[in-house]
This record gives sequence, C-alpha cells and structure tokens, in this order.
Amino acid sequence: MEAMEVDTLQRKQSVYQFLDEGFKIQKEMYRGQQYSQIYFARLHLMRTLLYSLLPNWKPHLPVCTVLGLEEGKECIVVGTLYKHMKLKSTILDEYSKERSAAPLVKPHNFIHPDDQLILEDESGRVKLRGNVLLPSVYVTGIVVALHGKETGAGDFWVEEILEAGLPEQIELPLKSEDKYVVFVSGLSVGSSTSNPLQFQLLVDHITGYLGDEKEQSIAAQIVQVVIAGNSVEIPGGLLNGQNLASKDQSKMSEPVKELDILLTQIAAGVPLDIMSGPNDPANFALPQQPLHRCLFPGSSAYNTFKSCTNPHSFELDNIRFLGTSGQNIDDLEKYSEAKDKLDFMERTLRWRHIAPTAPNTLGCYPFTDRDPFFVESCPHVYFVGNQDRYDTRIIKGSEGQVVRLVCIPRFGETGIAVVLHLTIYDPGQRVHFVVGRRLVSV
Amino acid sequence: MNNGSGKKRPSPASAPHPPPQQQHQKKHHPAMEEEEEMDEDVFLDEALLHDMEDHKELLPNSSGQAAIIRIFGVTREGHSVCCNVHGFEPYFYISCPPGMGPDDISNFHQILEGRMREMNRNNRVPKLVRRIEMVQKRSIMYYQQQGSHPFLKLVVALPTMVASCRGILDRGIHIDGLGMKSFMTFESNVLFALRFMIDCNIVGGNWIEVPAGKYKKSAKNLSHCQLEFDCLYSELISHAPEGEFSEMAPFRILSFDIECAGRKGLFPEPTHDPVIQVANLVTLQGQDQPFVRNVMTLKSCSPIVGVDVMSFDTEREVLLGWRDLIREVDPDIIIGYNICKFDLPYLIQDLIREVDPDIIIGYNICKFDLPYLIQRAEVLGIPEFPMLGRIRNSRVRVKDTTFSSRQYGTRESKEVTLEGRVQFDLLQKEDVHHSIISDLQNGNSETRRRLAVYCLKDAYLPQRLLDKLMFIYNYVEMARVTGVPISFLLSRGQSIKVLSQLLRKARQKNLVIPNVKQAGSEQGTYEGATVLEARAGFYEKPIATLDFASLYPSIMMAYNLCYCTLVTPEDVRKLNLPPECISKTPSGETFVKSNLQKGILPEILEELLTARKRAKADLKEAKDPLVKAVLDGRQLALKISANSVYGFTGATVGQLPCLEISSSVTSYGRQMIEHTKKLVEEKFTTLGGYEHNAEVIYGDTDSVMVQFGVPTVEAAMNLGREAADYISGTFTKPIKLEFEKVYYPYLLISKKRYAGLLWTKPDKFDKMDTKGIETVRRDNCLLVKNLVTECLHKILIARDIPGAVQFVKNTISDLLMNRMDLSLLVITKGLTKIGDDYEVKAAHVELAERMRKRDAATAPNVGDRVPYVIIKAAKGAKAYERSEDPIFVLENNIPIDPQYYLENQISKPLLRIFEPILKNASKELLQGSHTRSISISTPSNSGIMKFAKKQLSCIGCKALISGSDRTLCSHCKGREAELYCKTVANVSELEKLFGRLWTQCQECQGSLHQDVLCTSRDCPIFYRRKKAQKDMAEAKVQLDRWSF
Repeated sequence: MEAMEVDTLQRKQSVYQFLDEGFKIQKEMYRGQQYSQIYFARLHLMRTLLYSLLPNWKPHLPVCTVLGLEEGKECIVVGTLYKHMKLKSTILDEYSKERSAAPLVKPHNFIHPDDQLILEDESGRVKLRGNVLLPSVYVTGIVVALHGKETGAGDFWVEEILEAGLPEQIELPLKSEDKYVVFVSGLSVGSSTSNPLQFQLLVDHITGYLGDEKEQSIAAQIVQVVIAGNSVEIPGGLLNGQNLASKDQSKMSEPVKELDILLTQIAAGVPLDIMSGPNDPANFALPQQPLHRCLFPGSSAYNTFKSCTNPHSFELDNIRFLGTSGQNIDDLEKYSEAKDKLDFMERTLRWRHIAPTAPNTLGCYPFTDRDPFFVESCPHVYFVGNQDRYDTRIIKGSEGQVVRLVCIPRFGETGIAVVLHLTIYDPGQRVHFVVGRRLVSV
Repeated sequence: MNNGSGKKRPSPASAPHPPPQQQHQKKHHPAMEEEEEMDEDVFLDEALLHDMEDHKELLPNSSGQAAIIRIFGVTREGHSVCCNVHGFEPYFYISCPPGMGPDDISNFHQILEGRMREMNRNNRVPKLVRRIEMVQKRSIMYYQQQGSHPFLKLVVALPTMVASCRGILDRGIHIDGLGMKSFMTFESNVLFALRFMIDCNIVGGNWIEVPAGKYKKSAKNLSHCQLEFDCLYSELISHAPEGEFSEMAPFRILSFDIECAGRKGLFPEPTHDPVIQVANLVTLQGQDQPFVRNVMTLKSCSPIVGVDVMSFDTEREVLLGWRDLIREVDPDIIIGYNICKFDLPYLIQDLIREVDPDIIIGYNICKFDLPYLIQRAEVLGIPEFPMLGRIRNSRVRVKDTTFSSRQYGTRESKEVTLEGRVQFDLLQKEDVHHSIISDLQNGNSETRRRLAVYCLKDAYLPQRLLDKLMFIYNYVEMARVTGVPISFLLSRGQSIKVLSQLLRKARQKNLVIPNVKQAGSEQGTYEGATVLEARAGFYEKPIATLDFASLYPSIMMAYNLCYCTLVTPEDVRKLNLPPECISKTPSGETFVKSNLQKGILPEILEELLTARKRAKADLKEAKDPLVKAVLDGRQLALKISANSVYGFTGATVGQLPCLEISSSVTSYGRQMIEHTKKLVEEKFTTLGGYEHNAEVIYGDTDSVMVQFGVPTVEAAMNLGREAADYISGTFTKPIKLEFEKVYYPYLLISKKRYAGLLWTKPDKFDKMDTKGIETVRRDNCLLVKNLVTECLHKILIARDIPGAVQFVKNTISDLLMNRMDLSLLVITKGLTKIGDDYEVKAAHVELAERMRKRDAATAPNVGDRVPYVIIKAAKGAKAYERSEDPIFVLENNIPIDPQYYLENQISKPLLRIFEPILKNASKELLQGSHTRSISISTPSNSGIMKFAKKQLSCIGCKALISGSDRTLCSHCKGREAELYCKTVANVSELEKLFGRLWTQCQECQGSLHQDVLCTSRDCPIFYRRKKAQKDMAEAKVQLDRWSF
C-alpha cells in the first residue's frame, strides 16, 4: 500500500549493535555446581571496584576482612549483604507440621521490622547495626563497602555506606535527526483479558497503516521495536508432562501462532527484538534464554527479527540500552521498599548490579566464574517490562552519566506502548491504544 | 575477644561476712542470710571424717566415720556454694515385737551389732548400729482402729548399712526368748539423700538459709565452689518456694559440642579418634545471650567474630584447656547434643571445672559426648582429666545404664556422674557427615574455622531448645512440687516422685511406709479402663465431648481410696464397721469413708489440685513472662504429679503397689462412663422434650462423645453444657463432668483412632484434631503422612469427599507413573546393632550391611538412622532384600517398587480413613483406570544396559532418529512448537525448584560464599536437592538438543 502513495515515506534506519553475549548460556552446563561461586565471582568483581573507589572516599581508614575486625577499631570492610528476614517463605514450609486451617495468604511483601542485615565475605559473617543502614532498603546479594567498627557484642556498627555507584558511560551522541524506539511488554496473546484488536492497532500504528500523513511520518521514524517479555500466555496445566490430546495441542500452540502472525507484520517493516519473559515458553532462571525460533516460523524468516535474552542489551546509533522483562524489579519489591518502581531501578544501577536478589530469591543459573548481572558500562536507557503503569525519569551520575529509566506497562491490561525519542532527554511518549480509538499523549 | 575476664563467677568477697546493717535487724539471729538454691545433687561421702577434727564443735556427739551430705547450689548473687551438712544419720524402722521391753531392746541391739560386724568386717566404725529407739508409729497399710503401735527406729552409722541391716532382719535374727524372727522393715528403701531432704523439709530447687554463726568455713576446700562451709543439718532453714523464694536461681548453663576426627567409614571411637574441637557457650539462666562463647581447636583456626578461638597444638592441651574452662566458669547445668554418650566422656574434664556449670545441657550428651571425652582422656593417659565435678580429686565415673520406664521405654545410656552438676541430654540433631570432618580438620586454618562454626552452631542449638521448651522452669517446678532433686527427674521414673510426697505426708501423720518386697507380677493384673464401643463412621453433625476433669485423682478423692483406708477382708468381718462408714467399690474392695479416717493419697491429691488451681489463677494474673514461665511449669508439674499417683498404686514392680486401690479406681471409672452413657441416652430423647434422640457414639478412658442430633455447633454446645451439669450432679464430689469441645465433622475410625475439627467456640473451629492416625509416625514414609493429612484436610475442612478421592487417585497414579518425589518414599529406621544381632532380617540392617561392602566410608553405623527405599527386584524377593540407599537409587535410576508402597505403606491408612465414608473404598481407591498406566525408569547400572547402544530418539514420539535430525522425526516436525514448549516448561519447573532448594540450604548453613556441605538425611529436602541437581543436568541436555 505504501508503494501506492505518491510521496513515499522512507523508514529511517539506525546502526544496531547486539550486546547479549554475556547473557547467553551455551557451553555452560549443570555439573553439580552450587550458588556459592556466583556470589564469590560477584564479591571479587565488586570488591576490586570498591577498593579502587576507597582512596577518594576515606583514604585514611584501614581495610579489613570480616575476620580481621577488632573491637573498637574503625575500619572499612567490603562484603556481600545478607538480609535475615523473618517473613521470608522457604521451601521447608511445605514440610511444616502444623498446617493452619485457613489457607496461607501470601503477602506480596515480606518486610518485617525485625529484619536484620549481615555482612559476609569469604572469611565470615558479622551482624550490622547502626542508623544509616536501613534493612528495608537493602536486599541480599548487594556488595558494599562499610565504614564502622566492631562493638563489644561482636556486631559491626556502621557509620557510613559506600555503594559502587553508576558505572562509566560511553559519550551520548549529539542530537541528531528524530528517531523513535517503541517499547511494549505483556502482550499476553492468548490470555482471556487480551484484546486481539488492540495489538493489531499497535502493529498498524508501527507499520504506518494508521493515521494521517503526519502520523505516518512519525511512524516512519520508528527505527526499532522492543518487546520486553510475556508475549504469550499459555493456559496453565497443559504442560505438566502428560501427552496432550490433539485439541489441547492446538490450544497450546494457538497463541504462539497468533503472535507469530502479528510479529511477522512488524518484522516485515521494522527491526524487532523480542525478549523472553516469565510467562513465555522459555526457561525460568535468569538470564532467560531467547525464545526458540521454531516458535516463530513466520517472523523468524526476516532478518529484522531477533529473539533476545532477558536481560537484553544493545546499542542504537551509539546509544546504549539495557532492560529486563521485569523479574529483577518485581523481586526487589517483595524484599525491600521504595517510593516507586523507578527508585528500585535506580538502586540497581547504583549498586551496579541489576539482579542482586539472584540467586537468593530470584531464580538464576549457577554461574561458576562470572556474574552477568554486574553492570559494566552504564546504559543510556534502562527499561523494565511488565509493570503496572508507565513511568519514566532521568537520573544523573556523579561523573556526568545520564540515564533514562522507563517502566513499560503491561500492554494486555493497559493498552499502552512506550514510544521513546532517541534523544533521551525527550521525555518520550505513551501511546494508548483503546479499541476504536488511539490516544497519543506525552 | 572476651578472654578470661567476665567468665569467672563474681568474687564472693563480701559474702561470708555479715554486712553490719543487717545485724540489728535480727537480734537473736545476728545473721546475714545466706540463700542458696538447693542443687539437685545431694552427694554423700563417708571417708571425710579424719579431716573434720577441727569441726568438733559442730558435731557434738560424733565418733568415728559418718556420712556428710554435700549440697551444691548458687547464691542469689551467682556464687557457687558447696555446703557440707553434718550430723544427719541414716535410719529405718521395724515394728516392735509385742512385749519387748527396754532390756530386750539393748539385747537386740547387741545381737544386731554382732551380725552387722560379721558383714562389715573391714569397717573401722566403732558402732555400726548407733542406736535403737522405741517410737510410736503406725503403718500406712490398711485401716486400723488403734492410733499407733510401738516401732523400733534403727539408726546406723553409714547409709550403705541400711541395706545390709535390712538384709539381716529380712532373713531373720535369733533373739533370746523370742527365737528366730524375721522383721518387716519400714522406710528402709529410702535413699539417704531423699531421707535427709524429707526430714529437713527440703525440696528440689529449694532456697536454703544457713544463719550466720551456724556455719564454719571449711579449712580445706574439697570442692571447686567459691564458698564452701560446714554446718549441722538442724541449722538449715528451708524456705518454701513461695513469694520471693519462688525465684529461680541464677544457674550457669554450659552448652557444648565436640567434633572428633573419625576414620573413614567408622563411627568415632575414643580409643582411636582424637577430639579436634570443642565449642562452648555459657549462659546465665534467664538471659537470652550467652556470656561466654568460645571454641577450642586442635591446630590453628582462623578467628570467628564474637567468638574466642583458642587453638592448641596437642589434643592433650585441648582437653586440659576445656577442663580449666569448666573449672573457671563453674557451670551448674551442662547441655549439648549426645553429650552424655559421646562428648562428655570424651572430653569431660577440661572445661567443666573452669566454667563450673550448674546445669549441662546437650543432645545425646549422656550417650556420646561426655563418655567419649572421658574415655579419650584415658586413652591419652591424662589422669588429671576426668576431674570435672565440683569435688577435688573426684573422678567422673562412666557406667552403662539401662533406664526403662513405661513412659520413656527402655533406653540404654551411659551414666556420667559429675558431682554438683546436672546434665540435660536433648537427643537428636543434624550433622556434617563424620567423613567430612576429618577432611576439614586436615585442611588449613580456614577449613578448620569452617568446622568450628558448625561446632558452635551445634553447641548453640541445645541452648535455644532449652529456652524454647523451658525445660529448666518445668524441671525446677516439678522438683519443688514433688520434693525430689532435679537429677531424679531426669534419671528416674515417675514413682520416686510419688514416693517422696507420700513419705513427706506420712511423716506428718506419724505413719511409716513398709518396704514391700519386690513382688513382681505375682499379684496379678487387673482390668484396665474400658472404652465404649466405637461406632465407626463419618459424622456430619456436631459431636459434643464430655470430659471428666482429672478423672482418676477425683475418684480417689471422692471415694477416699488410700493405703490407710483399705480394709482387709479379714477386718471387714472382724471389725463390724457400720455400713454408712464404708464404701464397697465395684471391684469388691472395701474402704472406710473419710468420716472415719481420711486417706493420705486423697489428701496429697487435694493439695496438688488446689495448688494447681491457684497456680492457674496466678498465671492468669501474671504479667512478667518469667513469672508466667514459673507458674506454667508449676501447674503442669502439679497436673502430672496428680495423675501419676494412680499409676504408682498400680505399678506392680513399684515401691508400694496396691492393686486394691488401682483396680477400684478403674472400676469406678468404667462405671462412670457407663453411667454417663445411660443418663445421656435416657434424658436427651424426643420423649424427654428434646428435638432428637442423643446417641453416645464413643467413650474413651475419661471422655464420652455424644451426638445430640442437632445440626449446629452452638446447639450442640448448649446441650453439652446442660448434659455435663446434669450428670455431674449425680456424682460424688469432686468428680465432675465437663463440657469442653465439639467435633464437627467427626471421622471415627475405631477405638483410639479418630479425626475431626475441634470447636471450643461456636463461630470458628480451633484446629484439626487427630488421634492414632498416621500423621506423625517416623517409620512410615513421608508420602503416607502427606497423603493422610491432605485427605483429612479435604474431607474435614473443605468437606470435599470427591476431591479427596481424586487426590488419592492422582497420587497413586503419580506413584505408578514414577513421578513421585523420592524424598516422599524414604523410610527411616534407626540402626541399633550390627546385622547378626538381629534375629529377624530387617530391611535397614541388610542395607547397612550391603552399603558397608560397597563403601565403608559412607555406610551407616550403629546409632545412625538408615534411610532406604524399596526397589523393584526379582519376583518373590523379600522386602529386606529390596531395600536400597536413596542416593544410590537416584544416581543409578533404579526403579522403585510402586506396588510395595501401594500395598504396604499407603493402602491401610487410606482404607482406614475412607472405609467409614465410601462404600467400596478399596475398589474405588486402589483399583481402577488410574492404576493401569505404569512407568518404570531404566536403571543405568544394571548388567544388560552395559551392552545397550544409546541412540537418539525423537522427543515427540520416541522413534529412533538419525544423527542429522537431532530432535524430532519427520512426523513430529509439525508439532515442533508444542513439543518445544513442553521441554522448556519442564526445564523451567526444574530451574525454579533447583533455585529454591539450593538457596534454602545456603540459608541454613549461614553462608553465601561457601559450598553447602550438609548431608543430613533427616532433612526433608536433602533428596530433593540431590535429585533436582541431577534432573536439571539431564533436562538441560534435552533442551540443548533443540539447536538454535
């Protein structure tokens, strides 16, 4: 159809660089390794980093290991935080004798006033006390440097905390022409609440079948679409190992087929990255591996279609993107407190680790020699999918780093996709699709 | 960190001197009060007298050797005290033959002295039988009209002579003028320590005051206590545990654990294996944090925060270091896991003296830890080691004991005597496998630190358990109520407690208790309590439960049943008692009523029950949690004591059995249950104006279950209350029928087996109550427990019988389809002796034997619990041949035998539950389509598999495929998406499980950066963790076949 227009709109293009290698699990196997090694790798990585920051923080203080602490001696100690939580549910609860008569109501947040932070390194553990270190903010798995001293009771009194802070950032390119990236998550094709028409509207908007010329010209400036997880919803109970009856077989593959059809339409026109998410037919543990190509016989034929890991990282015209399908932030919300989701996001960047609660409460592959969630280079755009509502903010680092944080809402429930201008200072757009109507708002 | 200082008890500098301000307060007693809590152990020592020359003024009439009682205790300020009590003499009674005058007595005295001399030739005591006095007493047995009879009180020189003297009198003695005569002795079997406590009115956990000036500081301390003095027994003032004297003494509690470097495959033996670490925690009773935390290690060990790590180069130094710690810290109580059998004997001496604990707690301390230490010290030739008690130069003695009681069953153990310290053994714990311990020890100071952390944790657990279960409060209160030392409560049965109370009461009433010869079972048995026929069924209407409150004690009170109110059949005829003064029990015995003679047992019971009422009332008022703990401990102790009185009279091998009493009690009990049933069914009828006819569906020893027929809980409660009041009115006081609870719905399976939801208020049920149903037993596999619990939940709470049936079917199907989590199928049994000693072949013993042949290092040893599963084997193989190690099964994909589990484990408990509910329970549940699909895993280690060639098969249809296809055959290509989803969903589930299991174990071990080592097979997730690891690896390989 486009070809029939008199003034053919040309879709803009950008330079795409794929940065997912670190999140791939290929040669790595389960060989009986445990989770201690990823903590060890993390501590090692972070400690080197934190030690390099000490001269600018408190050069006069000696550095100790947990073992080397001496009563009353002020020092700096670096270690992994462990939060002892009273309400945290454990798998052992399944075996507890007293089953209460009422069904267990699982709270969405496990924080309790008695929660206690503990610092651990290879040498040992020490309980942390003090007013500056709030247990409700921190979670298990973060590596920090602490200034303080051991008390008579064998605890460590914390005076001040040093977090790793935002990592170095590649220079933000100068403002160039207008280009947009569309983020969408939680399409939930196949769920009872999703409306197929809504998704079609989105596809038509991206591909330029909708709206007047002005809108089409904006659509032509979309250079990339990113789907941040939970694209399909496969009815539960179908996948428990039994051989399926043919009617169930189709019930299961139907949503995937539907998704493939729509994605083919996008991929035909715009480069498309699809990330795996918690509800997708992918593995569970982070980093989630790409959705298999065999699920997308149609769209995977296009070279614009890329199935990506979760977390996912890439560069567009030298602007760096990093994002997840939401598990890391959702897990933080269960085990700590913040004003909003963006706060959690900001914290993970300042801790320089996007998933500190993995493996403790967030499923994760038992890496032996590396920690892929460590943030080596600061992204310009940090996005998280499958959130309740759209939200965005810019944060700045001490060395001039600028990061746009974006919460992408679930499209299936809200009908909202996020259109982000490549100049990240632009606050971006929220495109709200309601069947029969389309609202574009800033 | 907390070296030395603060560990010792505070110096008692001011204690022995009376503070001046108190002197004028007490004119005729110019004294300071010295309180001490009576320690549990009262020891006696005979060979001390030569040291006592300078104490003549304390012992006015002493001549030669005498018994000295040593009381260990703590002052209110926390000083340890040893008080040597002088002047108390052992004695017993015999009834005086009629017509015996003062001359005859001196004659008798001479003859007896002569006979005693023959028996105690080596004894240098000038006078073996000190005195014989004529006293007026009465035997407790049988109702007697006369007030008293003449008795002879025989005072002997030393406590051991009571028994030899009794022997002489039992066998008979020739007396001039009377001829050969044997005597019945009275109170000759009372332990000397108990005798002393009774006569001085001292109970266990008692505060004792020794007024100033009435004691003398020992010139030469024989104990390691801070204060040691001598006094006369008559100067002791015992304070009843009320008001300020109900406070608990500040006991020092030592909790410890040892680690030994075992050899591969063998349980550590003190003759070979060195002690490598000892962890100690010392806590003051009532405080939540230990004030001493240390660990002693052999060879260097990296420091641990908040813990004093002491490293030694030789094992000898470790042991002596521990001894010194015990002396210094001076604990009153020592606790630990397995300490009596293992740790303490292995180590014993070092620490105890220094720390000086009052109480020693621990897991299995009596069976492992303590004896191990002592034996180890012997092997190493450290004679100065086993001196851990509070007495200088007194060795700790270890002897094997077998303790049996009806309550605890027979338990073999080692008895370790530590003068002045109580040991608490809290059996069972989880552990690092002992084969790993040696590796950690042989590593570097970091690995030894790792071990030390484990060791400390093990030492801390008993302390936490002790706090949680409030053992100390309960035991001290029990000791106070029953009047026996705490050590008796731990090492002796129930009867000593009743005997102690009986003796105390009898003493007040001028009664004496005969020493009945151990008659064995010759007196025969009597009919026990009846249980009304259970009308099995599933009751969907509320069932009210009427309970007799303390039934047996109230029967004894109501009918005045006692030793001293029992009338012999002879006397019934001779005495011609008026009928209004006697009652004939349903079992045919005659007792006099209380207007003629009040029984002692009813009096004891009355006191116990009133005291309990008071304690319960105080408990309601109490605010302070410590006071509450004391009061709760007391009311519990009172309840148990009241209930054990009946048992005392019925224990045929006990101290004073009297089956006339116990059979009367049960016969009354039976009568009352029947009476209640009759009244309920007569009164609550439609004819009597009620809506429905009431029906008694079941009656237990002291309760009756009634279905009033009303549909609501509230209505049933009202009728229950009405019935209880009405029927109570027909009983003699204080027998009372109480209404407490309603079961709704109620599943009555058979006698003593039922389940139901328990309601005590009409709006909401309290809990699910089950009795006699497989919900807890350990020798069933977990599957049984889970299945039964889940079914009961579905039936009783969700009221969903079809759901329960479906759940059973699904579970059976899972079992047959090999989808069951292996940990649910593990059966565990303790290995108590080596194979040949068992008469019948048992699955776990055979397995242990087989495992030993396979690899001696990991095979279970005597004392371990052996987990096993039943595997498929040749037809006709016995169950014991089919047992296998769960780990071995997991590693080699050995098929389990689902039929065994179906038939031998789950079918019986299931049918019991479902038979009252379903018509064809067996057919419905155990047969049918869900049992037809079976899947068995292929073993990877069997002979035939070695010849099998592995070839890829299609993931979709299992057809063989060529190497180039890798995943699917050409037929299944079209289903690629669906089949991939399935594979990845499986991986996803396993990843979830893997993560949860392994992070849980990290949590448990308390370290993120170190690998999980724990091999506790008692842990519910141990096998799951192992299996998840293996399944994960396999699933990943499967997933990788889908190339990208």
